[in-house]
Amino acid sequence: MSQLLRILAALVVAVALLPAAAGAVDIKAVTTPLGIKAWLVQDKSAPAVSLAFSFAGGTASDPAGQLGVTTLMATLLTDGAETLTSQAFRQRQEDAAASVGFSASLDRLGGRLRVLSANREEGFELLRLALTQPRFDADMIEQRRAQIIASINQSNQRPGSVAARTLMETEFAGHPYANNPDGTPDDLKKLTQQTLKLRAAALLIRTDLVVAAVGDIDETDLARLLDRAFGSLPVGTPPPLPPEWTPPTKARTVVVERPVPQSTALLALPGVARDDPDWYAALAMNHILGGGGQQSRLFNEVREKRGLAYSATSSLRVYKRAALLVMSTASANERIAEALRVVKGELARLRVDGPTEQELADAKTYLAGALALALDSSGAIAGLLHSMQVDGLAPDHLTKRAALIAAVKIDDVRRLARRLLRDEALTTVVVGKPVGVAPGP
Amino acid sequence: MCFSRRALLGGLVAAGALASPPVARAKLFSVERRKSDFFTLPNGLQVVVLPSSRAPIVNQLVVYKVGSADEVYGKTGIAHFLEHMMFKGTGTVGPTEFSRTVSRNGGRDNAYTSFDTTGYYQTVAPDRLEMVMRMEADRMANLRITERELIPERQVVLEERRMRIENSPAALLGEAVQEQLYGRHEPYGMPISGYVDDVKKLNVHDLAAFYAKWYMPNNAIMIVAGDTTADQVRKLAEKHYGPIPSRKVDPRRRPGEGASDLPQRVMRADARVAESRWSRYYLAPSYHKGESQYAYALQVLARLMGGGETSRLWKALVVDRKMALAAWASYRPSSLGLTSFDLGVHPASGTPMVEIESAVGGLLGKLLDDGVTAEEVERAQNQLLAAAIYSQDSLQSGPRIYGGVLGVGGTVADIDAWPQRISAVTPAAVVAAARHVWRAGGLVTSVLTPQEGMR
Repeated sequence: MSQLLRILAALVVAVALLPAAAGAVDIKAVTTPLGIKAWLVQDKSAPAVSLAFSFAGGTASDPAGQLGVTTLMATLLTDGAETLTSQAFRQRQEDAAASVGFSASLDRLGGRLRVLSANREEGFELLRLALTQPRFDADMIEQRRAQIIASINQSNQRPGSVAARTLMETEFAGHPYANNPDGTPDDLKKLTQQTLKLRAAALLIRTDLVVAAVGDIDETDLARLLDRAFGSLPVGTPPPLPPEWTPPTKARTVVVERPVPQSTALLALPGVARDDPDWYAALAMNHILGGGGQQSRLFNEVREKRGLAYSATSSLRVYKRAALLVMSTASANERIAEALRVVKGELARLRVDGPTEQELADAKTYLAGALALALDSSGAIAGLLHSMQVDGLAPDHLTKRAALIAAVKIDDVRRLARRLLRDEALTTVVVGKPVGVAPGP
Repeated sequence: MCFSRRALLGGLVAAGALASPPVARAKLFSVERRKSDFFTLPNGLQVVVLPSSRAPIVNQLVVYKVGSADEVYGKTGIAHFLEHMMFKGTGTVGPTEFSRTVSRNGGRDNAYTSFDTTGYYQTVAPDRLEMVMRMEADRMANLRITERELIPERQVVLEERRMRIENSPAALLGEAVQEQLYGRHEPYGMPISGYVDDVKKLNVHDLAAFYAKWYMPNNAIMIVAGDTTADQVRKLAEKHYGPIPSRKVDPRRRPGEGASDLPQRVMRADARVAESRWSRYYLAPSYHKGESQYAYALQVLARLMGGGETSRLWKALVVDRKMALAAWASYRPSSLGLTSFDLGVHPASGTPMVEIESAVGGLLGKLLDDGVTAEEVERAQNQLLAAAIYSQDSLQSGPRIYGGVLGVGGTVADIDAWPQRISAVTPAAVVAAARHVWRAGGLVTSVLTPQEGMR
């Protein structure tokens, strides 16, 4: 019987004895002896601990000539530390059934730890090593660099990836958000061990660190382990925020030719900031337009009535310095013009007529229930707690949220639709061999 | 969040991914389970309840024991098309009203089609469980398939195929591999989404006949996970599914052999490919077909050979010889018919395919000649068990595991015994399994390259 099997056998009994308590989310704010702040949801039904955390400063702050440095550095943090080679570091994770990983978004450098609670000492020790003693061995730099460049090359052939990249480059032209978070092959090839070490030192600081923990661990234990992993990181100054973004004021259509039978289309409008008073109206509007599932106007008009596409959706994207509303669909090259016409028609209809009372009521009941759906796993709960903190929300937000949604009035959504859904601000990107779609201006 | 309503699960569609570890299929948290959590209604509907008070949600999954492999050539694509039409209404629920109702009640729903099974699932608040059970039971018996709904949906099905398959060179190559491995016009040799020519011809009668033939309580499993009890589920199941009569259901056919005893090769050079791939697929036994005594050792073999960055393939090809950027192995045992043991390599720029193939061949030969160490086997076992533990962390993965096993004729006892059976695998058993599967016949090698041809 392996060690894990013995752990399993022990867990089986423990879990079977648990009372059927209601699954309310009880968030505790923890401050460690060394002053690190974290949110904790203690959950004994999981024999594991999930940690989600992030540092200020993401790929948008990559220095000129070093595009991709943050992503490559993040990958290499788990490729060997102190006396452990990459293989040895990975082996230690496997032996503890633990996983440590880092990845960078435009605005932040994020990390995750997942470990069986029985092995949490080892899990946090591995995290400490990755954060404080990364090796950046030459052979691993070469390996990861080659993998990232290959991934950039392949993404440049996938219609969905090309559309997503082109949209960012068009919408954010001249702004750091236009840069590929993975960097460029040219810059990646120039990165040295020294550059990577400097980047790690610049970003891995305690200032503006955000931490969320979920699982079978108490406050005292969490505080002790957080101090072990993060305690020796220095305080410092995070990289400056990217400059303010000036939203485009002219409609544009960009076509990227690719030899595929189906064209992929993305349409973008300036969106709504997370702290905008109309945020909840925006959630409702997006749900009605193309969010969530099969009730939306885009789904109904593009797919259900006309069979023009498998998928027709909209989503709100929020960055530190910008926000977008993005519509997405894909249709045969011969029919994509028609699909685009229908999508644009729906934007106009919502702007002019607003939603119906029934649509708003349905959106509100969905949004109220959707929060619970996000609590599917401890990793997901940790992610939610983490993003709440990044968004500047208080722990009691989860109880206030229902009232904020309920307070949305139809006039709020009408006003917001008139503000956002403007033809003159629409960026359209089409990838494929579209028939009847003219680029311009 | 990415929106994917109809997942086409299965086969080699995912073969282009960088790593495809074997899926651990086990329910590990309650081996001392209550008998009342598993029962069968008098009409033959199998019910599984997986209580968890973790979050105020429940997940219902109904799995039908039918998939694309139960179609015949000339009428392919029915199982998947029918899955779409299941959202188009009954006598009492209007077209698209099913999903609208779930959404209006704060829930989400979706469905998938695989070679062997078709599944429909919803996640809702516990007090909405009766609502989704009522609607799911309703469409088990009362689906209304009309010409008016079928015509536009056919275009949706074809657009889904363009998106998932025709826009992706790796997916197109994957379909060619399936055909070579399992045989032209054989159950697993045809695409899950069907041949385009067939899909264009399918009509209301074809779909209605398939529905009548396979959709019935005695050919289905209903799984509920989450914040509920077996008593509650039993009451609701008896009320809503109970009245649906059972009918005679046909046995399912899966061939006991592959397409050819000769090694086959499939190549695709495509302008849409930037990075080459080399893959090898060996016909292999599953839990239910072929020499199934090897099924557990093959899971351990896949893990130690190509499950992650400490595996033999990765260490040799990526770390030591630096001839590849990634390498992996995978094996999926839960299949009604034969399955495959897959190896894949993403060559480093400039490494000729012939060198990759020869290096992999050397590693396979070395394992057969020198065996595997007890330590390697234990590490692989621990990784499999750990993955299974973590898979219990999500409310959706429990039902998927049960649906995947019971949907092809496995039992709850099989799921319970999985950790012990994996732990019992010996080094000698791993080598014996490798010897059985890595043979000269019953294999397909595939090569995907940019347009300029083999480098």
